Amino acid sequence: MKTYLLKWWQTIRISWSKYTAYRLNFFLQVVGPFLVFFFIKYNLWSSIYGEDTGQLIRGYNFDEMMQYHVWTLVISLLGQGYAAMNLSEDIRLGRISSYLIYPFEFWEFHTAGFLSFQILQIFVSSVTLGLAIFFGFLDLPSTMTLLHGFSFTFFMGFFWFTMQYFTGLLAFWLEETWIMRVLLSIVVSFLSGYIFPLELYPEWLVSGLKFTPFPYMSYFPAKIFMGVETNFMMGYAVLAFWMAVFAFVNHLIWKKGMRLYTAAGM
Amino acid sequence: MSNKVIEVTNLTKQFKSYKKKPGIKGSIQSFFNREYTTKKAVHDFNLEINKGEIIGLLGPNGAGKTTLMKMFTGIIVPSAGELTINGHRPWERKKDFKKKIALVMGQKSQLWWDIPAMDSFLLLQKFYELSDQEFKTRLDYMAELLGVVDLLHVHVRKLSLGERMKMELMASLLHNPDVIFLDEPTIGLDLVAQENIREFVLDFHKKNGTTIIITSHYMADVQALCKRLVLIFDGTKAYDGPLEKFEKILGNEKTVSFSFSEEIGGCDFIDKYDAKWNECRNHVDIRVPEEELREVSKKILDLYPVIEFNTEKMPIERVMKTLMTNPEVLRQQRENLSS
Ligand SMILES: Nc1ncnc2c1ncn2[C@@H]1O[C@H](COP(=O)(O)OP(=O)(O)OP(=O)(O)O)[C@@H](O)[C@H]1O
Ligand SMILES: [Mg+2]
Repeated sequence: MKTYLLKWWQTIRISWSKYTAYRLNFFLQVVGPFLVFFFIKYNLWSSIYGEDTGQLIRGYNFDEMMQYHVWTLVISLLGQGYAAMNLSEDIRLGRISSYLIYPFEFWEFHTAGFLSFQILQIFVSSVTLGLAIFFGFLDLPSTMTLLHGFSFTFFMGFFWFTMQYFTGLLAFWLEETWIMRVLLSIVVSFLSGYIFPLELYPEWLVSGLKFTPFPYMSYFPAKIFMGVETNFMMGYAVLAFWMAVFAFVNHLIWKKGMRLYTAAGM
Repeated sequence: MSNKVIEVTNLTKQFKSYKKKPGIKGSIQSFFNREYTTKKAVHDFNLEINKGEIIGLLGPNGAGKTTLMKMFTGIIVPSAGELTINGHRPWERKKDFKKKIALVMGQKSQLWWDIPAMDSFLLLQKFYELSDQEFKTRLDYMAELLGVVDLLHVHVRKLSLGERMKMELMASLLHNPDVIFLDEPTIGLDLVAQENIREFVLDFHKKNGTTIIITSHYMADVQALCKRLVLIFDGTKAYDGPLEKFEKILGNEKTVSFSFSEEIGGCDFIDKYDAKWNECRNHVDIRVPEEELREVSKKILDLYPVIEFNTEKMPIERVMKTLMTNPEVLRQQRENLSS
């Protein structure tokens, strides 16, 4: 058991040094999304609200709308990373051959990499949160709220990872998986409430989404951070269910893919 | 307890690939209506290898050597046939199996590019569950022998090809495998580095009694390392036997070359031995049956102004070349033997 955990730990450390090898990258990861957020979302919503920042749009005044979006930004940084992106590359370029030889499985390696990435993203998202507070977008919530929000988002990160893993594995059949991944992330952005809070959508759609993972990927945790949502169990349960589904499907796909794998390029 | 480490019976691997026309239209077309072509990369291959042997697996480009190596290491699943290594079926990819084998590919890096080799080694130490003591002793020993002690902390992508190859070799031997597969480990290396690697492999073999299968297009590797050769042509086995026998497959003649201090005119005695003269007729290669070698050489040395002479260093190179240009020679050879 101890030797097994050591494998994980060392892999996490190695991935960590890979992720942080390029300082500039690290810097851009923090600053980039923040600037994009600022220029797109801030400008969009200030022009929608115009002079009258006190008016309510579906129950949000301008400041609340901005708070909501700062939280979705923090959530996407922490819970929707791109750690599984290398996976399809690994498959397409025949790089998984090496992992097939090591006594440490491919999924273990990538999951350890994901964990390492998550640790990094805790810093990135905290810095972003700090910046948002510094610029006066929001006030620091209570420690308890923060804790609930971060735990839920972290959990959601695992779901996101299993889903990304799924799209990555399709590289066994598709030459390019990025188109699919872009489509998926557009769908997720809309249905999760990342682009607009779900209050802006028709009632039937929102209630239809309740048992899908989507609302729990942005809207739900944002509401936790804002102190509105207190019934966490629903979120955890739905995500856990879908996570199990994807994990199982991934397992099957991997088995099937391995039979087809020709290690081309190696 | 059988001594066989590797047992291969009727091993076959065919690749199914589909033709794809260029462009998006081609992609869509091929998605709905794929034209498949199957290619038999390895066909009805049989082989038995004993513990501690070093086998040279030779064959022209595209013969199926790498495909065999991939099946041996469990990277790909055979299409048909049986294959056991140390009692395991490689494609089941059991941890016990993985801990006993190693694969080095000269054409493909297995180390992580963005980090120093040492970090990769430390990771492998954990993967293979090596104690710090074992790890340190082996690493120091190998790094010393290969002369790369100073390079352990350099990022792998900054290493030269030869330096990286040495690291790859170390990485795959740290866990002291029972069976090692080396797929063109010396490709693209300078002569000194090649020799370095050969000596290292020999030394490792001597110390550990490891079973080694090596492919290479450099006959010097084969000459230095292997007692037994397995030749593969077009996915099937074409020869399997000792190196010495392979060298004599085209007859037991020796090639001897002589240089003279002056031009030599017509010379029936020399021409008798399939002589190949150069332009200025002051250098000749002849082929002499082994049993006449002493006598003929002596005569030429006595009669002509010889300034230099030598026998062929690597007859195996000539044999390989001949077989690759006319593979039917081997078939005739086998028919002669069996009749
Ligand atoms: N992944 C693959 N998909 C389809 N065909 C393949 C694949 N890998 C190899 N082949 C084909 O199988 C044959 C054997 O290839 P292989 O790589 O085993 O040759 P090799 O003996 O290693 O050659 P070389 O000396 O050039 O390395 C070749 O004709 C090759 O085109
Ligand atoms: Mg090859």
